[in-house]
Amino acid sequence: MTKKFDAIIIGAGVIGAPIAYEMSKMGYKTLSVDKLPDAGEGSTAGSCAIVRAHYSTEDGVAFAYEGFKYWLDWENYLDHVEDEKGLAKYMNTGSLLIKSKGHKWQNVKKHYDAVGVEYKELTNEQILEMVPVLDLHEFWPVKRPEDPAFWEEPSAMLEGGLFCPEGGYVNDPALSAHNIMRAAEAKGATFQFNAEVVKIRAADGKVQGITLADGTEYDAPVVVNCAGPHSFKINQMAPGVWEGCNIKTKALRHEVMYCPSPEDYDYLNDGYHQSDGDIGCYVRPETGNLFLIGSEDPECDPQEWVDPDEFYAGKGGQGRDNQLTEAQWKAQCYRLGRRIPTLQVPNQPKGVVDLYDCSDDWIPVYDKSDLGGFYMAVGTSGNQYKNAPVVGRMMAELIDACEKGLDHDKEPFQFTMKYTGRKLDVGFFSRKREINYDSSFSVNG
Amino acid sequence: MNIYVCVKHVPDSAAKITIEGPNAINEKITFLINPYDEHAITEAARIKALKADTQVVAVCLGKAAAENSLRSAMAMGADRGILIETDKPADSILTARALAAAISADGEAWIIFTGKESIDSEGMQTQFRLAANLGWPVATNVVKLDVEEDAVTVECEREAGTIDVIRMATPGVLAAGKGLNTPNYPTFPDIVKSRKKPVEKISLAELDIEAPAAGMRIDSLEPALETRNPKRLSGSAVEIADRIVDILKNEAKVM
Repeated sequence: MTKKFDAIIIGAGVIGAPIAYEMSKMGYKTLSVDKLPDAGEGSTAGSCAIVRAHYSTEDGVAFAYEGFKYWLDWENYLDHVEDEKGLAKYMNTGSLLIKSKGHKWQNVKKHYDAVGVEYKELTNEQILEMVPVLDLHEFWPVKRPEDPAFWEEPSAMLEGGLFCPEGGYVNDPALSAHNIMRAAEAKGATFQFNAEVVKIRAADGKVQGITLADGTEYDAPVVVNCAGPHSFKINQMAPGVWEGCNIKTKALRHEVMYCPSPEDYDYLNDGYHQSDGDIGCYVRPETGNLFLIGSEDPECDPQEWVDPDEFYAGKGGQGRDNQLTEAQWKAQCYRLGRRIPTLQVPNQPKGVVDLYDCSDDWIPVYDKSDLGGFYMAVGTSGNQYKNAPVVGRMMAELIDACEKGLDHDKEPFQFTMKYTGRKLDVGFFSRKREINYDSSFSVNG
Repeated sequence: MNIYVCVKHVPDSAAKITIEGPNAINEKITFLINPYDEHAITEAARIKALKADTQVVAVCLGKAAAENSLRSAMAMGADRGILIETDKPADSILTARALAAAISADGEAWIIFTGKESIDSEGMQTQFRLAANLGWPVATNVVKLDVEEDAVTVECEREAGTIDVIRMATPGVLAAGKGLNTPNYPTFPDIVKSRKKPVEKISLAELDIEAPAAGMRIDSLEPALETRNPKRLSGSAVEIADRIVDILKNEAKVM
């Protein structure tokens, strides 16, 4: 007999798990399915799990700042659930945004003021007191080592930064999703793993349920796509959904590097999360006194849009598979090496290659769809990890309102954020929107 | 006096290696300096800092792309490089002859460093053949080195827990082991400097070395299939510990 649920959530990563948690708290009988063996084992595990507030739009800043409050109060958020794997830890290092031409930092400052984000404006001298290993010359525009101009000596200096003391990162992103799963289970949610969705069943313009690769069928009047880099494939399975999206998603390959901290600098204990648009890098401490070096997707870097199944199977060849490339290793490490002249760069690349579920304008789609009962939290573009607990609450409320009759396309749902008290027009994340040119079109969001 | 460091351009051990044709690998992967050679170059740079008028020269036999590994060696402290170019695979007999010829032609050697092995072919022969070609002494898997004017004292790890202490006349060949030092990786300013250091390129044919009477040819390559058979051990902590020791001794034979 086909099992019935109130809602099925496809994907048990850091976006899917909090939706299951919040819907369970509202009384929905939920089933979460994931093709991998445990929660957070997909692209969530590859996330840098940065928690920062600087986004290119005021709503983006407000949304992220709301998220801070969840991470700062993690045990309460989880309702003190026990997880046999332990709890993920919020590393509240503070977050430093270097003022540069690579970020519209003036807008960020304006948004910080509007939202009430706690921050300090720093001079170069103050930055050097905090991070003495930096060379604060301006290296803009971001270049690749293959470009002879990369090696030119800089002359101009940067102009300080914005420091947000509540920022930081989460030490184990996969574990954070696992924690949320345990919290959801405590509220009655069911999770099933090694469960690959192969069909979204629908009739009369309404979703009916899902079919798994082993033939198992589950029915529910609500299905939510939180499939991360596979989101576009799930949308394509659901009749009319892909066609009804003005903003589409696809999977972008992304490399993150690990480089040891200079010997005389205890980055793990003394360092900060830093966003440095001047060199197109963001960094945060990693266990082992390493720098984790991410890329802010500068225009000069290649973008590889890949098939997620091929990618995770290690297919596609160098630069398209899940192996680091020497060229990108050098690009990211040498860029940071300019900023930190004592940074030692090993010859062997070390790091993580994973996928972004990227939307056309790098802003996510949190929305209903053209198929009744089918919802999506997709296109998280490498920048929504920090927002995930808020997304969980917002999606649960959006789904509940739509299921009770709201026409969200005509009258967009207004979400009230619990901590900041601000109202957010969820229509901002609509699948029907035109491309938002205020976006950074990068991981910065 | 020169210190020569022989380096090899090898596939990254973390790369996904696939076989193309009967006896070659797909080379569109990351290649880098052989990790053992990083210890050799770090030690050479350390000695250079102690002794004035010493030059460190990195030497490599390989394809044109091997210049990248010479650049890595120069970023880690070598003053210049010599690339013996060949497109053909070379075994340890030919490699040792080529290195000996290039080094002899270049200048007077005090110490020649190699890694104790390369991570691709793992032959562990080149250092011995190189020393034999030159008629010099050789020590392998060197984990400690003290230098004097015309001799070195080295500690060589033979098996786990066994160390040979050898006093050896120079010139000689020393093959660096992992325990010798922590590689001193380059900073960005080191990398900038290395770009300006000279690399002399010579073809293998130019060296006019005597053709070896015997050689090694790779007829075919096959992927080594790694099979994992996880087992769950049950019982008390003591029973599990006993069983682990038994497995390590009698099944894995690593104790």
